[in-house]
Amino acid sequence: MKKKLGIYICACGGNISDYVDIEKVKDSIKDEDCVILAKTTMFACGDSNQNDMDTDIKENNLSGIVVASCSPKLHLSTFRAVSERAGLNKYNYVHANIREQASWAHSDDKSGATDKAILLVKAAIAKARLAESLEPIVIESKRSVAVIGGGVAGLKAALSLSRMQDEVFLIERESRVGGKLHELDTISPEQITGKELLTSLEEDIKNEKNIILLTNSEVVGYSGNIGDFKLKVNISGSQGQSLKDINVGSILVATGFNSYTPADGEFGYNQIKNVITLPQFRNLLRNNNEKLVYNDKEINSIAYIYCVGSRQVKGDNKYCSRYCCTAAVQASLDVKHKYPEIQNYHFTRGVRTYGKQELIYKESNRVGDIYIQFPDKKPPVLTEFEGAISIKAGDLLSEKKEVEAIADLVVLITGMVPDKDTSLGSLLKLPKGRDKFFNEIHMKLRPVETVIDGITIAGTCQGPKNVMESVNSAMSAAAKSHSFVSKGELELEPIIAYVEKASCNWCNACSNACPFNAISMIDFEGRSVATINTSTCKGCGMCLPVCPSDSIELISFTNKEMESMIDVLAQ
Amino acid sequence: MQKEPTILSFDALVIGGGIAGGEAALNLANNGYKVILIEKRLSLGGKMIMLSKVFPTLDCSACITTPKVSEISRHPNITIFTESDLTSIEKRGEHDFVARVTRRPRYVIAEDCTACQLCEEACPVIVKDQFQYNLVGRKAAYIPFSIASPKVAAIDIENCTLCGACEKVCPPGCIDFTQEPREYVINAKTTIVATGFKLYDPSNVPRYNYGEARNVITSMQMERLLAPTRPFHTILRSSDGKVPDKIAYVLCAGSRDDSLGNPICSQICCMYSIKQAQLLMGALPMADITIYYIDIRAYGKGYDEFYEQAVGMGVRFVKGKVGRISEKENGNLTLKYEDVTTGKLKEADHDLVVLSVGVKPNSEPAGLFTTHQLELDSLKFVKQSDPLLSPAKTTIKGVFVAGTATGPKDIPDSILSAGAASTEAICYLNQ
Repeated sequence: MKKKLGIYICACGGNISDYVDIEKVKDSIKDEDCVILAKTTMFACGDSNQNDMDTDIKENNLSGIVVASCSPKLHLSTFRAVSERAGLNKYNYVHANIREQASWAHSDDKSGATDKAILLVKAAIAKARLAESLEPIVIESKRSVAVIGGGVAGLKAALSLSRMQDEVFLIERESRVGGKLHELDTISPEQITGKELLTSLEEDIKNEKNIILLTNSEVVGYSGNIGDFKLKVNISGSQGQSLKDINVGSILVATGFNSYTPADGEFGYNQIKNVITLPQFRNLLRNNNEKLVYNDKEINSIAYIYCVGSRQVKGDNKYCSRYCCTAAVQASLDVKHKYPEIQNYHFTRGVRTYGKQELIYKESNRVGDIYIQFPDKKPPVLTEFEGAISIKAGDLLSEKKEVEAIADLVVLITGMVPDKDTSLGSLLKLPKGRDKFFNEIHMKLRPVETVIDGITIAGTCQGPKNVMESVNSAMSAAAKSHSFVSKGELELEPIIAYVEKASCNWCNACSNACPFNAISMIDFEGRSVATINTSTCKGCGMCLPVCPSDSIELISFTNKEMESMIDVLAQ
Repeated sequence: MQKEPTILSFDALVIGGGIAGGEAALNLANNGYKVILIEKRLSLGGKMIMLSKVFPTLDCSACITTPKVSEISRHPNITIFTESDLTSIEKRGEHDFVARVTRRPRYVIAEDCTACQLCEEACPVIVKDQFQYNLVGRKAAYIPFSIASPKVAAIDIENCTLCGACEKVCPPGCIDFTQEPREYVINAKTTIVATGFKLYDPSNVPRYNYGEARNVITSMQMERLLAPTRPFHTILRSSDGKVPDKIAYVLCAGSRDDSLGNPICSQICCMYSIKQAQLLMGALPMADITIYYIDIRAYGKGYDEFYEQAVGMGVRFVKGKVGRISEKENGNLTLKYEDVTTGKLKEADHDLVVLSVGVKPNSEPAGLFTTHQLELDSLKFVKQSDPLLSPAKTTIKGVFVAGTATGPKDIPDSILSAGAASTEAICYLNQ
């Protein structure tokens, strides 16, 4: 039966219509074969247009729709939902991306952008003519979650999941949980230390029946998919190594950060005596009592140099590490509290005590700390000076005049860098951002999900955060992981590859190309042929071009469908 | 006349239909809980739905907010009350909250309205449009804004002259002047407070001349000028229609200033100002844009890179606090400021000044709870009882808080805090 198609062309509030003449697009496609109606709309994703689509589908008995708007990354699920509500199988909706691929890419050429948009919509119409109804693959989902990393984010995530009645495997590579909490002193805005926080968390963990804690443990093997991940965990014990298999419905990654280690000679590090990093300084503060002594020298003045390893003008770390301004100000207040006679000098690039953290910056000014903001391109220069250290820097507050401070101790305020152990990220194939931290799908729409279905990220492995922010992200990730496992079953995308067994002569090329280990060999009527694991296949299509006998097809992206689109585009 | 209030029961009561309340409601609903979402205004979406684009990705804000709002409004587990006032919440015991809610009449039968806007055309009354932050006018019979949810007309009864013009033209005949407030008693097992923040009112600072000088506007007004659903089709001074070419941003307008009673940093203004500056450079390529700042707080993921991008694009950053803003005869403005890098007092002329107004607490939720005290912190934000380990917990067990009700936050942080609040609520419901 001939298809009846409805076409919607979105203005995206000007994002598209400022460059693409959407009325012209509509006029060029409205007489295409099978097209029953064609409309333009201000916001295709808006509520009122969704209602219109619903009505159109029902009233005209449409058997397919094409939406030409932004990237399907943003709204594929929106328009699938509209189709379903209107009683149209959602795989009969085809998307044309005329924003990223036409209006934004060709903002300097309006008529060219319009021509391209017309072709993109026509190609989508060609595909929609051939589209078939599909049903999702339903799989069972294990009611358990693996939380990898036992720092504050991992601990809070595990606690939350357990309290939502999920079974939790909390996997920590060190011999004890707590991560960086062990190193933290006073944490703003509470007057509480990392140790104290950890004690209360450990107490809570002990009382949870649903948490299985594995320390000295590392994930070394990974397979499966959302609802049914299989992990191999290597556990080091007093009797040597052992391997444990874990089966979970979702994985929550909370592997944290490393503190930046300065290069030798960076602000005198490892070259000038009494130049230390923030973590070393915290350690020093913890282990001193009456007087602050370092390298046998009594400390009467301290200089803090900010943004070491962050916001680098020359190096690769362009990002701001977010937590360190507040951490440095708090550490200097701890010093003042314990040793009121010590003078603090802060060499900053603009203090970023955002939000309520401003109050501790005010307090620091009140107790007499001196702040010097140096220009980005003129960082402080350190030299040894009569048993102490001279710090010279330009000062923005005095017309960039050079100022000098003499300090007994210099603390480099080192920022956060991604965990240097990248093995887990590679094993799970987690994508990273420009800053090398793990990347979320969308900062606002899906902030704790990764492109691997069923794997969520929490805490500082996603980017610098303070404790409160890490906990918020951990509890959000817990909510998301919980929603993957709580229902007992999951629907998977049916857009996967399948093998024409008749023409397949098992050559292994497809299974080598598959990034998800979804292809294996089976016996079929006495011959070896390839077969696809329907719950592991992601429909990426990597196996298609390598098949010498062209025996693999991708559902919904069949050769016939793709060729029909190419025919249009090649016109 | 309604005699008895209608009684309804839910698992969770969410107060506030902005992005945080909406996200919390969705999280709960997706896990199978029945939720009621109470919103004071005519539409969901809070402040975010009014924004132009969002930093640092420059996604169009409507593109992110509208599908979320649409998902919320269609979710089978979520009931929405817009145009509704919560008057009190009692906690009778654990998992036992009773709230009283008044639904104000729209004077329009929402189910029948098709948002055709004929009533708007017919209405003879013009008043200031609060959804466009007073840049333009609207009618007394009106659709709040084009992407409002629900997209349903309302009659502004305060300003309506009861002339009946709207009634005559309405095709489905859904204007109904006989509607009265409806009272509800809502039972819920847990409560999430997501009441958001208030924008700082710059008319409290006489030296900024806001409200007097014609071309001093707030950053929220600039958001509207830049938004896809904007009042004009370009950026212009609403006083005289001139396209500005020398625009100034005054950061920390009402923030980091003890003398104005707001000692803290508002956390979002640096970034939204930098974003607006980038958008303005796209819209008005010939315009000069200057940002007067104390410190640039570009702290989040990709934020510092976004700031450097603005520097690279040619946005001028001047470290210094702006003192007086005075108006010239032609409507241009003279800014007196301290240029910190030279230590001198200087003056500069601009033809449009944007005040980057900050975040003020909305302390209303504290007054709602009758049996227990919802404490506020020293700044009048909702107090977090355990800010580090359970940031969403309040001083009342079973009442959780999401978004900017606890202090300034950007959109990603608001959404994450909403995730935390919904997780706390689910844990509490499981107890």
